[in-house]
Amino acid sequence: MGVPFRQYVTRQSTQTNPLHWAGQPAVVAINLVVMIVFAIAAIFVATQRARADNRAPVALADLRSAKPGEMRSGALLLKDGERFVEAPQLGTDIDLTVSGPTARARISQIFRNITNSWVEAVYVYPLPDGAAIDTLKMVVGDRIIVGDIKERQAAKVAYEEAKARGQKAALMEQERPNIFTNSVANIGPGETVVVQIEYQEPVHQADNEFSLRVPLVVAPRYNPAPVVQTVDFKPDGRGWGTVSDPVPDRERIEPPVLDPRVDAPVNPVAIKINLQAGFPLGEVKSQHHAVKVEEPAQDTRVITLDEKVVPADRDFELTWKPTASTAPSVGLFREHVADSDYLLAFVTPPALVDAERRARPREVVFVIDNSGSMGGTSIEQAKASLLYGLDHLKPADRFNVIRFDNTMDMLFSDTVPADSEHLGQAKRFVSALQANGGTEMVPPMKAALTDRRDADSDYLRQIIFLTDGEIGNEQELFDTIAAMRGRSRLYMVGIGSAPNTFLMTRASEIGRGTFTHIGSVAQVEERMRSLFDKLENPIVTNLTASYSADADVTPAVLPDLYRGEPVVLAAKLGSPDGTLEVKGRIGDRPWNVKLPVASAAVGHGLSKLWARRKITDAEIAKTLGQATQEETDKRVLSLALDHHLVSRLTSLVAIDATPSRPAGAHLSRAELPLNLPAGWDFDKVFGERAPAQAPRHNDRADVNGHVQLAANTKQIAAPAPKISGASVNTYQSGGVPLPKTATDAELRITLGLVLLSLSLILLVVRRLRPQLAK
Amino acid sequence: MSAFPLPREPTSRRSPCIHPAATAIVSLLLAASGLVLLGQGLWIHAKALLAQVLLERAFTATLASGQIVKPWPWADTWPIARLEVPRLGKSAIVLQGSSGQALAFGPGHVERTPDVGERGTAVYSAHRDTHFAFVGDIKIGDEIRMTRSDRATFRYRVIGTSVVRWDQSGIDAGAEGRQLILSTCWPLDAKFSGPLRYLVRAEIANGPNG
Repeated sequence: MGVPFRQYVTRQSTQTNPLHWAGQPAVVAINLVVMIVFAIAAIFVATQRARADNRAPVALADLRSAKPGEMRSGALLLKDGERFVEAPQLGTDIDLTVSGPTARARISQIFRNITNSWVEAVYVYPLPDGAAIDTLKMVVGDRIIVGDIKERQAAKVAYEEAKARGQKAALMEQERPNIFTNSVANIGPGETVVVQIEYQEPVHQADNEFSLRVPLVVAPRYNPAPVVQTVDFKPDGRGWGTVSDPVPDRERIEPPVLDPRVDAPVNPVAIKINLQAGFPLGEVKSQHHAVKVEEPAQDTRVITLDEKVVPADRDFELTWKPTASTAPSVGLFREHVADSDYLLAFVTPPALVDAERRARPREVVFVIDNSGSMGGTSIEQAKASLLYGLDHLKPADRFNVIRFDNTMDMLFSDTVPADSEHLGQAKRFVSALQANGGTEMVPPMKAALTDRRDADSDYLRQIIFLTDGEIGNEQELFDTIAAMRGRSRLYMVGIGSAPNTFLMTRASEIGRGTFTHIGSVAQVEERMRSLFDKLENPIVTNLTASYSADADVTPAVLPDLYRGEPVVLAAKLGSPDGTLEVKGRIGDRPWNVKLPVASAAVGHGLSKLWARRKITDAEIAKTLGQATQEETDKRVLSLALDHHLVSRLTSLVAIDATPSRPAGAHLSRAELPLNLPAGWDFDKVFGERAPAQAPRHNDRADVNGHVQLAANTKQIAAPAPKISGASVNTYQSGGVPLPKTATDAELRITLGLVLLSLSLILLVVRRLRPQLAK
Repeated sequence: MSAFPLPREPTSRRSPCIHPAATAIVSLLLAASGLVLLGQGLWIHAKALLAQVLLERAFTATLASGQIVKPWPWADTWPIARLEVPRLGKSAIVLQGSSGQALAFGPGHVERTPDVGERGTAVYSAHRDTHFAFVGDIKIGDEIRMTRSDRATFRYRVIGTSVVRWDQSGIDAGAEGRQLILSTCWPLDAKFSGPLRYLVRAEIANGPNG
């Protein structure tokens, strides 16, 4: 535009103009240029203002939102549209009480808004996959607001409405059975809001060892792009269909992740466990964290972290054993809730040595995940585990090895005899593996489940699947296992500091195998040995449970048991004084045990555990094609609402009746960043570049100091919270903030008129131009 | 333009037609953006006027039924009171909430302040160039009449005006007595919005329906 216009100016100025209606033509032209520049600038300013209008009605709020250069203390900046927002600081306080077979956890998430603007905090975090989450509380000042269970959509709507009204609100949604999102709306400048979650969980028991896992971080997942597309054709037969994404909710489970080389760890966690085992305790051990153990009584321990707080970058795992002489083989617990009795039973079958059984040969397919998420120490653990497996094959066995990332290789086209030549080849193949690429888990699972020798029932067909399970398309994998499992049994080996336990347990349940977790290289030998002991044979098969009166027993289908594992079942009983009978076969011999329920000890939260397990049953029935989606949804919804549980279809929502954010103040959304799980290699997961986040300050020394875990916990524990009525809150200083009360109508009208007259002037000039040219 | 001189058509004594075309495009662009801006500006005023008509209707229905009536089905706010300044012959329907959306349609009741007529300081806010354009004309001693949706009517007497920063208003929502404050942007005739607010303070002159 500039070039022709300049020529125009030059040409005009070389001529005399008889009709100089506004002084010299050159002056007119220059004026025009200046005015157009002004007009364009004015348009720009106006649109900018219009945008600011929508986003930040309070003009001063703009000035106060953080700019990367003016950060005071170490904190992460997140991008909110075009502005940077400091992420709220988060501290987590975990208080766990183990009473006999169950654990009750209270997790307090302390959100501290260190900015000068109003913030909505969004935090994605893990919980154990068998946990029954029944309580959400929000602590604002000295008030405690207890959350309600609602259908997911209704809860979301209630939360969004409260958020828009400026009320404080907390919403807890399930993304996966082990991943949850907390959203906390309207945290004021400098304010601290505590969100407290409580859940009930059964204690895991195997090999005479009891254990509890507290996952602390959601590992980044590989979410396959919909390359292998599923096409849903509409039933109208017109041939138009839609492509479905294998991970339809990918953005919900992809929070920002910090590069540990750049940022100090965030999200400090304090853990306290009150262990009341119910029997004299032997060894009590934390697998991955240094702890202090107090011993107030023979059957009680109080466990706290050695360092007061740790970053949330690996799972916490606690194991305990009874003293050698007191190992219980049966546990029976009962709880009376509303009109029903609930039962939780553990029965460890006797370990019979079955001398006359000949060992059946096995056909073992090892599958190893060498995707990028396995980078760092995980791949070393996986390789060591696989090499252990290869070393313990017997000459009569057959085997194969499959490796996968987003591509896959099968070492042999079919399983081969475990002779020294094949084993040598396999070991060289495994040793050379490097972690890289994405995680496409379905194709290798299909390859491993493909059974070429199904007529030859003499072989035990076993798949040992070594992975961290960090994928987002879990359901696709479960569907594959359900459809193709045949006679194969699937043994999931979870690798790394924070594996996806939901995937592992559900996959091994559908695949009728077990889940073994290996959290560090030091555990490889011990855990793999115990797995290989199990692999020899399931010892108890054809398990059924029956009750002398009416009862609803779960799991619906009791799994086969391996050495050292107990039968674990929960039941809702019609009458509390019947007898529970568990039957099965140990080797060739029948085994049964009768348990009089009247003698059961009192347990806590058993109804919740029963309901939670019934939800799992319903989901598994759906995966196995035994129920339709509608039936499953109905079942899950009624269980969750009856028992006040968070599920796929229900969320907990807590809303403060008193609005706190003044209207007009802008609310920023901040997704809280997560640590990369310990031992992970950032570049392998995200490629060799920083994630799309704002620049940040490196000094983060005071993060831990700012979050006062102890003080806040005390506040929560305070009994009988004062609920202040609908009284009007007074502002501490400054008085009621006033909304912006000027429109830019006049500005727009003025500018509009200026531009219109400009265009008119230009048109007139153009009309006159031919005459000027003469 | 190209470094190689293009042969000119000998007939073209009139210069290359790029100039008039460019001028036409520029003037069209200017006209278009001018019209858009003008339209936007007028629309703000039109919306403010039209909304008050619908709000008046909804508020009348509210007074009759005692129920919250939304002025239009998708509205996220509803009328809660009528504000009148008898000396100036001005009135406006006051809305629940003082979000930007609500203020486009009428004066808003600032959150976390009490309802009019209740103990404390009720604060209402509106745009200086639309619904509260008359606020500059209010004088000390003027009467402000408020009718709530429960038909209770309150008369307030203006006792003073002041200019404050939006975040340093000094307004105590829970103050003793019954006050009313009308707030709008200051200066009243400025083109751009700033941090200052003009306040009209009034004190209750009588009880309900007096």
